[in-house]
Amino acid sequence: MIREYDVAIIGGGPAGICAAIAAGKNGLKTLLIEERTFLGGQLIKQTHRFFGSEEEHAGTRGIHIAQELKDQLESLSTIDIMTSTTALGYYEDGMLTALHDEKMIKIKPKSMIIATGAFERFLPFENNDLPGIFGAGAVQTLMNIYGIKPADKVLMIGSGNIGLIVSYQLIQAGVQVIGVVEAAAKIGGYLVHASKLRRLGVPILTRHTIKKAVGSEKVEGAVICQLNENWQEIEGTQRQLDCDAICLAVGLTPLSDILSQMGCETTYIGELGGIVPKRTADLETTKPGVFVAGDLAGIEEASAAMLEGELAGLNAVKYVNADERVNDRIHHLKDELMGLRSGPVGEKIRYGLAQLYEESVITKEKIQKHQHDITQLAFTGVPSQENIDEKLPDVQRRLKPYAVIECFQEIPCNPCVASCPFGAIYIPKDDINCPPVVDFEKCTGCRSCISGCPGLAIFVEQYHPQTGTGTISIPYEQLNRPEKGERVDLFGRNGQPLGSGLVTTVLYGQKQDKTAVITVETDIKLVNQVRSIKPLENGKRVVR
Amino acid sequence: MKEDDIIICRCEDVTLGTIRDLIRQGYTTLEEIKRIARCGMGPCQGKTCTPLIAKEIAAITGKDIHEIMKQNHRPPFGGVTFEEIVSGRDEE
Repeated sequence: MIREYDVAIIGGGPAGICAAIAAGKNGLKTLLIEERTFLGGQLIKQTHRFFGSEEEHAGTRGIHIAQELKDQLESLSTIDIMTSTTALGYYEDGMLTALHDEKMIKIKPKSMIIATGAFERFLPFENNDLPGIFGAGAVQTLMNIYGIKPADKVLMIGSGNIGLIVSYQLIQAGVQVIGVVEAAAKIGGYLVHASKLRRLGVPILTRHTIKKAVGSEKVEGAVICQLNENWQEIEGTQRQLDCDAICLAVGLTPLSDILSQMGCETTYIGELGGIVPKRTADLETTKPGVFVAGDLAGIEEASAAMLEGELAGLNAVKYVNADERVNDRIHHLKDELMGLRSGPVGEKIRYGLAQLYEESVITKEKIQKHQHDITQLAFTGVPSQENIDEKLPDVQRRLKPYAVIECFQEIPCNPCVASCPFGAIYIPKDDINCPPVVDFEKCTGCRSCISGCPGLAIFVEQYHPQTGTGTISIPYEQLNRPEKGERVDLFGRNGQPLGSGLVTTVLYGQKQDKTAVITVETDIKLVNQVRSIKPLENGKRVVR
Repeated sequence: MKEDDIIICRCEDVTLGTIRDLIRQGYTTLEEIKRIARCGMGPCQGKTCTPLIAKEIAAITGKDIHEIMKQNHRPPFGGVTFEEIVSGRDEE
């Protein structure tokens, strides 16, 4: 039996699912093939709120996005889903074979969308085959899918978004992260993620690398060293750290094997992660009717993968049915992608795509420059005093509660705007990459924005000079959530202890969606310093 | 432990020393190294080791990484038993 489809999609991650929904909604007889037993790809491990545009799921946790997308998929009768199915090969007569239900089946699709994603990179270092050395994806799978604590003390290698986010998730699971090692001079991921770790006391060691893992039967430690500007080891800087696991988050490589086997031209573009298919701005490869989407087409965030998935799906609709009604949406999606990539953090991907097609080149005028110097933040994860001061209202206004948005880097993200019921938060110039600004005339200090920020970068402060005290409201996502009336230890932006404070309110309702908002009262001098709290370490928890 | 003992291909237990020796002997393509040392022929099908080996070839020979990374891919992409192939035919 040959199974005939309008479009066959390989890969059931965010890109593949979005492609299937777009194709299925527009009437294509669609087949979605996923190797694993479940759909959702990496989304199902992502417990954090997503960055990006409010319109495209930003502000929603990855696990919830996966569920929403799966619900949409299952509501469409045009789509057949095959999980536990591995695509095996593609042949000249347009036949695709797959291993499904212990049988090699034949599929004849009129068009195809390849969304196989990426594979984690590995690092060569001594003893790198010891048990206890994980890829970041494995750590997430253990913790977030199976509920297994992978280790007690972890050293993270790599400070890209994956390294930073997984470090944070490890801490949430009660694992100690002894440090994040980064070979580059600057932190690779979004700096709000780095700041989240710093305030929890995790050091980020830039210009460092791992030399070897220590241990005989399993990891017992790691030797790291410092690097010079030429990425060479600086002599005499080796030191050994105690840990029982080493987690590698050193980047991803697109999984393009199937494309080259199919005869689609590929090329090596370092900025996109390695070998990628040659493709147009409409995601069509050199083989007509074969489209690509997601990490396979170039390593990027999941938000881009979802947009690309839909774009590929709509282009398949156009290819199969010559349906021009999808054109408006196609234009819109391309604009959205351009928007996501137009800021400083999109530079690498822009440069990579420019090697594939002209359209990706965004004119210099369109790219906003950092308005402020964020060098210190980029090197350490802790903002400079000047950065912070720029976010504060005048002294008089500080007597009433106000929001401080410690978001300094230009990243494509805007859920804070919609989270404010008073319209007090706006993004200048309508550029999603611009850091948000608070209109202190409109801000009431209501704390709605605190749990809505994917970077946990928003705090609400108030000064009470008459009593010499002040209050700070902060987002809290750890276990052991303090209660109202409890005394807690206070910590600053680099995790330094600042004394103690009293919890005056705890918001933990549906709206907060597991990101509690905890308000503490403390000395007036600490108001703009406190960025993290923990239940008192010494002695019992004291609830008044 | 010496640097040469670092495992590059975890599926087939191929060390950095072996890879470097082969490159110095003149085996400077992924295809040749794979056929001699079996790296890339295990369960992960070279997903972990290929970029690492390509980097070694580039470092020793000065060849362009773009050129090195180009290689042929053939179906099937996973292990398939004869039984599975035959049961597929029965479907027809």
